[in-house]
Amino acid sequence: MPELTDHARRNRAHWTGLAPSYATATGWHQEPNWGCWGIPDSELRLLEDVSGKDVLELGCGTAYVSSWLARAGARVVGLDVTPAQLETARRKQAEFGIEFELVEASAESIPFPDKSFDLVVSEFGASIWCDPLLWVPEAGRVLRQNGKLVFLVNGVLSMLCYPDEPGPAGTELLRPYFGMHRVEWSFEDSVEFHLPHGDWIRLLRANGFDVLDLIELQAPDGAPDPMFDYATTEWAHKWPAEEIWVARKHS
Amino acid sequence: MRSSDGNVEVWTRANTRYTDGAAPAAWAQEEITWGLWSVPESEVAVLPDTQRLDVVELGCGTAYFSAWLARRGALPVGVDPTPAQLDTAGRMQAQFGLGFPLVKARAEDVPLPDAAFDLALSEYGASIWADPEQWIPEAARLLRSGGLLVFLRNSTLAMVCSPVDDEDAPTEAHLQRPLFGMNRMQWSDGGVEFHPPHGVLLRILRASGFDVEDLVELQAPEDAQIHAEYNYVTPEWGRKWPAEEIWVARKRDA
Repeated sequence: MPELTDHARRNRAHWTGLAPSYATATGWHQEPNWGCWGIPDSELRLLEDVSGKDVLELGCGTAYVSSWLARAGARVVGLDVTPAQLETARRKQAEFGIEFELVEASAESIPFPDKSFDLVVSEFGASIWCDPLLWVPEAGRVLRQNGKLVFLVNGVLSMLCYPDEPGPAGTELLRPYFGMHRVEWSFEDSVEFHLPHGDWIRLLRANGFDVLDLIELQAPDGAPDPMFDYATTEWAHKWPAEEIWVARKHS
Repeated sequence: MRSSDGNVEVWTRANTRYTDGAAPAAWAQEEITWGLWSVPESEVAVLPDTQRLDVVELGCGTAYFSAWLARRGALPVGVDPTPAQLDTAGRMQAQFGLGFPLVKARAEDVPLPDAAFDLALSEYGASIWADPEQWIPEAARLLRSGGLLVFLRNSTLAMVCSPVDDEDAPTEAHLQRPLFGMNRMQWSDGGVEFHPPHGVLLRILRASGFDVEDLVELQAPEDAQIHAEYNYVTPEWGRKWPAEEIWVARKRDA
């Protein structure tokens, strides 16, 4: 494996620590859905028509998204930098009788040849834990022409409003938008990456993508607060706590 | 009443109060600049080569932007629904010896032929005063394949942070209005603006036949001064968060 970046090493240690609490992860039995509020993919239709396609998940963790894609007939590879998470994924594969390739690697240096995949997905994986200046070019490289990139991140607005302590986003803008890229919280040893919308569009364009969609996810009115503490349902019903970018490789 | 009727009244009053008087200086300006902070086009570089470029400016007001482009060899047509502003634009044309067609029309329904332009431009014109579901398809119709749509508007973030109770109070460092469902905004002076969120705007552009090429979120420079007329955002706010944004989209080949 190529040498990891400093933030990849720190995030691997962070996720090794978190892995036990994800060991009984429940996502494998679910229908495909997006984000904390479980917006069904049958509404968004981002993971449909994958039968027979080569799909790569970047930062798969316990690989429940990959399992949904495999169940839908895709040839899936789940990639993650944290061995402990991949161990859980392997156990789930045996439990559910769904097999697909799992690769230990960082999305910042993907161990696959150019033009190997039709779809690259990241759901709170590489999309926030890897440097987009490194993983987006890699995603562009391994996608075939007209291949799609779909990734879920925290809403950039929520990142302006998230306090530097565990607890949900409020309504005050706590940090500048300009220059947002690498974000480190004082309460944990990890590194996240969050870009302004304009920066995402320029980065995707520069790596040969057409930007097809930006789906700002709205929490359903009255839904229970999610298990993650970064936004209440009330907040996320008014402002996007999560957003999905959809892009297509054009050259 | 159509939203544009109220807007024509608003802009007739605004022209008397401000834009008519400001027109000579705007027309005389040498440099092309963008927005409240006068960010130079040389920094953002969103415009194509202007030589012999067929340009339609949607919501041109007193048409100073068209004048800047005409001086650089472009062939602009200014479109605006407010007669008072077009009168000012006509007077400036005579004063500066710089003629180009001015058309009185709403950007939602422009009496100009299909595929006649290389650039559709809107600088706080149709970009906020017309319904994007209508004016963006109209811009697509007016553009040739490969033509560029460039427009400046208030940032979504600034609109989300604009005070609800006091319309004249400056933009806050707090979320004031929900983003979901934000689009048509009716002001107490009768004006109607349109501020769809980024995702909604992106989908309208795609559905109208555009590829989105850039979103330039404008930052106030260190030495920025508060704008004399449009003082709803302070330079301090604008240095941290985008008060304004330029969208750049290209019409796909049919």
